Amino acid sequence: MFSKKKPMWGKKTPLKSSYDVVLIGGGLHSLATAYYLAKEHGITDIAIIEKNYIGFGGAGRNTAIVRANQRTQYNVPLYKEALDLWPVLTKDLDYNLMFNNCGNLNLMHSEAAMKAARMTIATAQFHGVESHLIDAKEAKELVPALNISDDITFPIHGAMFHPPGGVVRHDAVVWGLARAAAEMGVQIHQQTEALDIGTRNGKVTSVTTSRGTINTKQVLISAGGYSAALIYDMLGIKLPISVLTIQAMVTQPLKPVLDHVVSSGAYHCYANQTLKGEIATGAHMDPWPNYTTLNTAHYIKHQAEALSEFLPCLRGVRFMRIWGGLADMTPDMAPIMDGDEQVEGFYMDCGWGYFGFKSCSAVGKYMAEFMATKKCPDILKPFALKRYEEHKLMGETAALVNYSPDN
Amino acid sequence: MALTITCPICGKRNGYEFRFGGEEKGPRPEENGLTPEAWCDYVHLNKCVAGVQEEWWFHKDGCGLWFTIQRDTTTNLEAETVSMSKLATENEEAEK
Amino acid sequence: MMNRLNHLPTLKIDTAQKISYTYKGKSYYGVKGDTIASAMFANGVRIFGRSLKYHRPRGLYSLDGECSNTCMQVDGIPNVRCENTLLESGMVIEEQNVKGSAENDMMSFMDKLDWMMPAGFYYDVMHKPAKLWPVAMKQIRKAAGLGKISPDFKMPGKYDEVFLNTDVCIIGGGPAGMMAALSSAEKGLRVILMESRPWLGGFFEYRSAEYKDGQSLHDRATELAALVRAQENIRLFTHTACVGTYNNNLVTGFQIGKKSDVFDQRYVEIRAKSVVAAAGCIERPLLFDNNERPGVMQIACALRMAKTYGQLPGNKAVFSIGHDLGLEAAIELHDLGLTIECVADIREDGQDAVLLKQIAQRKIPLLKGWVAAKAFGRKKVKKVRLSSIDKMMRKTLECDLVVASAGVTPVTGHITVALGTLKYDNHTGCFLPDQMPENMFAAGRVLGLNDAMSIEASGTLAGLKASAACGLGSLEEIEKAAKIVEMLPGPVRGTKLVTAPVKGRKSFICFDEDATIKNIKQALAKGFDVPELIKRFTATGLGPGQGGIPGHNLPLYVAKCQTLPDVSIRPTNVRPPLVPTLISTYAGTNHTMFKTTAMDEMQRKDGGIFRNIGVWQRARYFSEDYACKKEIENVRNNVGMLDGSTLGKFRLHGPDALKALQRVYVSDMSKVKEGRIKYSAMCNDDGCVIDDGVVVKLGENDYYFTTSTGRAGQTIEWIRYHTRYDRWDFSLVNLTDSMGVINLSGPNARKVLEKIVDIDISNEAFGFSDYREFKIADTIPVRAMRLGFVGELSYELHVPASYMQSVWLMLKEAGKPFNIQNFGVEAQNVLRMEKCHIILGQESEQRTNLLDVGLGFLWNRSKSEAKTVGAVALAQAEHDQTRLKLVGFKTENNSRAPRDGALIVDQKVRGYVCTARDSFALNEAVGMALVDADLSKIGTRLEIYEDECGDDRIYGTVVKMPFYDPEGKRMKM
Ligand SMILES: Cc1cc2nc3c(=O)[nH]c(=O)nc-3n(C[C@H](O)[C@H](O)[C@H](O)COP(=O)(O)OP(=O)(O)OC[C@H]3O[C@@H](n4cnc5c(N)ncnc54)[C@H](O)[C@@H]3O)c2cc1C
Ligand SMILES: [Zn+2]
Repeated sequence: MFSKKKPMWGKKTPLKSSYDVVLIGGGLHSLATAYYLAKEHGITDIAIIEKNYIGFGGAGRNTAIVRANQRTQYNVPLYKEALDLWPVLTKDLDYNLMFNNCGNLNLMHSEAAMKAARMTIATAQFHGVESHLIDAKEAKELVPALNISDDITFPIHGAMFHPPGGVVRHDAVVWGLARAAAEMGVQIHQQTEALDIGTRNGKVTSVTTSRGTINTKQVLISAGGYSAALIYDMLGIKLPISVLTIQAMVTQPLKPVLDHVVSSGAYHCYANQTLKGEIATGAHMDPWPNYTTLNTAHYIKHQAEALSEFLPCLRGVRFMRIWGGLADMTPDMAPIMDGDEQVEGFYMDCGWGYFGFKSCSAVGKYMAEFMATKKCPDILKPFALKRYEEHKLMGETAALVNYSPDN
Repeated sequence: MALTITCPICGKRNGYEFRFGGEEKGPRPEENGLTPEAWCDYVHLNKCVAGVQEEWWFHKDGCGLWFTIQRDTTTNLEAETVSMSKLATENEEAEK
Repeated sequence: MMNRLNHLPTLKIDTAQKISYTYKGKSYYGVKGDTIASAMFANGVRIFGRSLKYHRPRGLYSLDGECSNTCMQVDGIPNVRCENTLLESGMVIEEQNVKGSAENDMMSFMDKLDWMMPAGFYYDVMHKPAKLWPVAMKQIRKAAGLGKISPDFKMPGKYDEVFLNTDVCIIGGGPAGMMAALSSAEKGLRVILMESRPWLGGFFEYRSAEYKDGQSLHDRATELAALVRAQENIRLFTHTACVGTYNNNLVTGFQIGKKSDVFDQRYVEIRAKSVVAAAGCIERPLLFDNNERPGVMQIACALRMAKTYGQLPGNKAVFSIGHDLGLEAAIELHDLGLTIECVADIREDGQDAVLLKQIAQRKIPLLKGWVAAKAFGRKKVKKVRLSSIDKMMRKTLECDLVVASAGVTPVTGHITVALGTLKYDNHTGCFLPDQMPENMFAAGRVLGLNDAMSIEASGTLAGLKASAACGLGSLEEIEKAAKIVEMLPGPVRGTKLVTAPVKGRKSFICFDEDATIKNIKQALAKGFDVPELIKRFTATGLGPGQGGIPGHNLPLYVAKCQTLPDVSIRPTNVRPPLVPTLISTYAGTNHTMFKTTAMDEMQRKDGGIFRNIGVWQRARYFSEDYACKKEIENVRNNVGMLDGSTLGKFRLHGPDALKALQRVYVSDMSKVKEGRIKYSAMCNDDGCVIDDGVVVKLGENDYYFTTSTGRAGQTIEWIRYHTRYDRWDFSLVNLTDSMGVINLSGPNARKVLEKIVDIDISNEAFGFSDYREFKIADTIPVRAMRLGFVGELSYELHVPASYMQSVWLMLKEAGKPFNIQNFGVEAQNVLRMEKCHIILGQESEQRTNLLDVGLGFLWNRSKSEAKTVGAVALAQAEHDQTRLKLVGFKTENNSRAPRDGALIVDQKVRGYVCTARDSFALNEAVGMALVDADLSKIGTRLEIYEDECGDDRIYGTVVKMPFYDPEGKRMKM
């Protein structure tokens, strides 16, 4: 019934002097890429280099919301595939990822927002993703705790209801992928920091780590919020990224009261109930770059004010724990996946902001294909860095851009 | 974390009075012959320094000045409070 | 009801004042000063709750709410910490999360099934077969969670917030905190002192041991409290728990109001120049089998039950302690009538000689080098087995109380969440402050001190340092105070024992999550080798009490298992809020913030239906007909009035004003002529349109311009940003709030306006696109523009906000013969759409540039020296044929207009509908859409895919824009 008592991702092994592939960062994207490289492409001579422990970054800090109702046709299919993969991975990894497909309810607070939602919903439906526009009353039926009266700052006009979305247990994804990758021979080197990437004639030759240098021809940086700084330091490549601290928190555990993920752009707030009964909530970010991962008094208060309005029964509930992580934001709210372009053998997968959990399963699969075949899969092509030079932002956010990172 | 920022005019204030305005990248480049790469570099690309960087801030709930500070992005503390604009005003005064 | 010990000077209760409350439907009485927990204990309640996984009964343990043992549902509010919450008359108290009752929980058989639930077991089961999971998940959800909240629960009470500035903020009102407050206050500094209990005194308050010269610690606490209260420059916040500290010395807390306060709870946010962290210690739980049975409690819990609430915590007690406080408590409780069977002290030696003598005098058996190994009794403690540390000897004693504590653990959360660091100290066995955050100073027991004099002296020292950080005081003073501390006794040696010599199947390291030391071993075996990861895998410290119970023991235990050297023992992270805090308290005084225009009230009277639009409230409709037929037709055929006051309005003047305009507007602004209006747009560096509006020239280098409602807030910032290197001399004034705007539109507009103005406004004198300034009734200055946003003859009148109502009423009066009517934002939206005038954000998205929306004619490319924002990108993207372009379309076969946001598709998504309506004026459905450039040619057929359309499609054809009055005759009339 229970797996045997051996370390889940293999015994600690010494670092070899060369690997076919080196993945920098022991987060979701590296682990998924390693898993698929080994499983689908038979490439197992892989080192994952992790500075702290696997899941230290966003992987262990996110609120694990998954959904596929993105705005553009480039994103929807990718996120759809990612969403469809959770049950598959649960089975393949033989690890309970605890996918709770409770559905997401994205609240709309104006006629303009309803229009924007309609476009997103039409895009979802056109791609076979279930999503519906519902009115305030229907939203209240789904979430009886909602305040649909007019006397709040942003009265609720309706909502985008996306039944197949939900929440996955983030730690399980990290540990499950790590275990499966390790079983296929991938080496996970924790407490090992990547310090530099060696190149010769525009080609990757090595990776220097705190435990020695590795010869390799292929390296991926998917170090979450740390990626942009690493890529600039190691290779001098600048990215259209701003790294912000994003916070999240949970209340004390309650009996079931919220059956869906509820989010609101106007209130900068989302909330869902974990299987343990805590209300997990977050969204607002302090709009200046920093690597502190510290929480702020301003944020807790903001969050409390927001919840007080649209889920007022939660006023009787206590916040219990707050934490922070990094969100590497791009101006168009879409990631950068690119490779073999700036430097031969160098790949990057970053700029995920707060979308890197829901996407990791599918992205791992395609980044693996990219690295194994050295050909960029069609589905990843729109995410290349070049789009910024070509004045072709992705359109994942409808809002007007500004000079500052979040605007 | 409680950000405070020193405005050259208003002094040390609550950070939420200000708006962040990006990494300091120097004045607008000349337009003629500007390549898409160079344009993109100026407009979109960042160094994302984990450490002290020079950056722009606007005192939106205050005097309305744009100025730069040196801030450590790993602690959110100001490193040095001599800003470009402050230097500029000082220079101006010296000229007078 | 139990008789209270009535004459202790330390009591905080008044037995003469009874307070009634209801528990599980029955009425009981407590007394004034009781907490909910002490009142219930007095009524015989010993089992307060049950544990999460194993349904084990739980009782009083720390009396400080460090675990969920005594969380209850009170007046509908879940998870109330009964040990910290004062009893109030009429309270309705219920148990939480029980099947049956906590006393007889029907699921208590779970306690035997722990072998089925090793650490992280849920990851390994319940997903096979896949069908099982949804069912299992429902059960898990039902079983998890503590209290209940009803979805329609309305939180009663008044909530407030206060934001303060101070010189020194002191966290903790014990002896160290009070001494620090006094020494800072004596310097004349403003001091805020926060204390979470309703009274001052901390560690001294409830103790009768001698302070000095026959004075008890309690009396000393009273004396200090009086001194503190007498200091005018100390602002006291008692019953105020500190919940967060941040770098730059920001401190937050929440205050419980007294009856005389205007709030029940208040969020307190303090910006201090320096902070003193003096929150004392809690106890480190002793790990042994069944270490959380009701009847097992910590030293201070047992002692304070007696000394503060006048109740003996049991009849017959066994102590298992590792600190002199345990001896002291045994002596005090013995003298109050508690039978003490035995005191097992972990320490072989090192006990205070005086205490040892007192123990001996009372004939209390003392076993040195012994520890409790297992408690017996299913619901309450009946016996306890003691064991020598070396496991060689054992003995079992009957008792109904086990006072158990491994030692103390400093409350350092205030330091670490503000980024201070801790270091494992081998002498005390504690994590002590290492690097303090800038301008934060630790004092008292936080430093590992135990001696009363040392605690006070360290407080004085910290107060002096905090004063110096505010710029007052001398180095000599500080050095002197530091010497005094040095000469006094330092930290006492602490025990290192982590667990009793047992296997630990039921030794609970974390009560809230039912995590045992066996679970920790299981996690280690799986490769989880860092305490932070073990925390996650076993959920240790993730419950309502957070790290309160396991925070200190977990890293010690892990280090022990891994045989790590001391230097590598790291504390686990503490995270805010340091005390669980109500959302209503954090929210404080919630209030909506929207701006209203001068016309707000009058438009509401006229039946306006308002919406929040950006920072404003605006009248969107004037009837329940959201298609706005009447409003629209009245403008097309007669005359209407719209309140356009939310438009951004600015004056830009000074020697370099024109340069600034050239920088941000795409047009050549040197061509703006006095008396004429120039329409233009601003782009961002990507060439994407961010704003459009009109500019008029008031004089040389003096301009008045408008922006869209949404951009008004950022316009100054924007212009200053893009000129920040240039040191140009210009002034920018935001007139948005000071000027109102009336849009008078319709074929009869001139006839109405004529009546109230003196100047000639004939088409010849005041033509389309002209700008005029005049006065109404010789008094009201008006800036008038002939615009045509809605496609009719219109006047936009800019009037000082204070005169808006007057002008509005004058126009209404003048318009009576024509039956002038209000029109709202939605009517305007349709009117302008028929005219194909775009609204940014509606006909554009983030990536839409000036050329995409057909405004390329505004762009003047011959002013590269101006470095116009967006010009480079426009030039580079100009020939790109793969962009989305704005087109107008009509539907085929007279079908209805698609809904806004519908897609244009073929095999792929090819664009989307921005705005489309069934036009009353044109009698057909028209709209604008952003489509791939190759679909933008006139005559192209568009396949429109709406949400929920299934296989149905609407078809449209790209047509010329505008739809209505293409020659623009009507607005020029
Ligand atoms: C509070 C919060 C809430 C979020 N909520 C959601 C959500 O609901 N849904 C969603 O989809 N996404 C969410 N996210 C985003 C998501 O967590 C991230 O996008 C995702 O974790 C990124 O995965 P990754 O594998 O790229 O990086 P990470 O998981 O961040 O892992 C990066 C790893 O790289 C390591 N590293 C860094 N530097 C080095 C170096 N020099 N050498 C070696 N290793 C290094 C780090 O230690 C880290 O372990 C949230 C994020 C946060 C912080
Ligand atoms: Zn200022």
